[in-house]
Amino acid sequence: MLGKCFSAICIISIIFACFTGNIGNMANAILDGASRAVTLSFDLLGMMCLWCAILKVAEKSGAIEFLAKLLRPILKLIFPDAYKNGSITAITAAISANILGIGNAATPLAVNAMQKMQETNDTPDTATDDMVTFTVLGTASLDILPTTLLAMRRAAGSAEPYKIIIPIWICSACCAAFAVMLARGLCICGRLNRSKKT
Amino acid sequence: MNIEFISSLIIPFIMLAVSLIVLSPKKNYFDEFLIGAKEGAYSAFNLLPTLIALIVALSMFSASGAVDFIAELLAPVCSAIGVPSELLPLLITRPVSGSAASSAYLDLLSKYGADSFAGLCASVIMGSSDTLIYVIAVYFGAVSVKKTRHTSFTAFIVMLFCIFLSCAIARTFFT
Repeated sequence: MLGKCFSAICIISIIFACFTGNIGNMANAILDGASRAVTLSFDLLGMMCLWCAILKVAEKSGAIEFLAKLLRPILKLIFPDAYKNGSITAITAAISANILGIGNAATPLAVNAMQKMQETNDTPDTATDDMVTFTVLGTASLDILPTTLLAMRRAAGSAEPYKIIIPIWICSACCAAFAVMLARGLCICGRLNRSKKT
Repeated sequence: MNIEFISSLIIPFIMLAVSLIVLSPKKNYFDEFLIGAKEGAYSAFNLLPTLIALIVALSMFSASGAVDFIAELLAPVCSAIGVPSELLPLLITRPVSGSAASSAYLDLLSKYGADSFAGLCASVIMGSSDTLIYVIAVYFGAVSVKKTRHTSFTAFIVMLFCIFLSCAIARTFFT
């Protein structure tokens, strides 16, 4: 996937450069690009280490379980079926990890939640309402402190890299609410359509 | 109490919370801290190869004049919905690949400045959206569900909503 993207971008660029006469520019850009990638990784290294360390402490001290407890009443409303069949615990864990931005843990936890939902799925080749809602919610970032983003802004010379945090919270919250409503709304529409046909 | 001041308190507050946890005699939390830092270093170095490939490709792309060409084509659409046309490379890569989007984002920041309006819009988009195709593929791939019903459609609409909202929020907060 990524390989094809890489080739496509390179080939299109070379064709374009031939037509616009930017070949010389592009040759320099290749050299600069490679060294810029290295500088960048070093700029990000410090913040990534620090944040992973903080999250490790949070994980071991039970902060994630605490967050899960806080989220439970809200998730009960969003995933009513999961609450009945017991997969809500796995869903809560996955969403808590997503909120804290624990990338390494969030994906396996989400996969685990999907497997739990699949166990009680009567139609194993088709997604349930809860699965659709959960996945759509997963595509809207819930990350409460986007540290890599802050590090990148700092590396790019921003004087106040963190001033975007509150706008991001507002935007994330609105998108998540919209995602849940749209996914649930379309589930209900689908059910109405099906019952009309029969 | 302005927004910059409140935002600047968040990180010091987290450091305070962590240092209090580390003081707790129950467990050696500082060792966990160090293990976490090591994992961070590992994932940062893991990112480097992809970053090199994609940053080189994207530098070629913008130096060849292709970006200007596409941006000029799409500029009327963008300005109609209030999205700066500088964001286009980011918007194209955001749903497809996380590392490609990071490269496009960094490219944008270094070109226009992190605190420019385009830079701020891009930051809000990066912070409130995710790699749509990856998430759907991994989540449903894990349980081998073939019929995902309206998942992709809904996720796509949510992302469009997110892009539009990000720029609207950036406009109210920063201009």
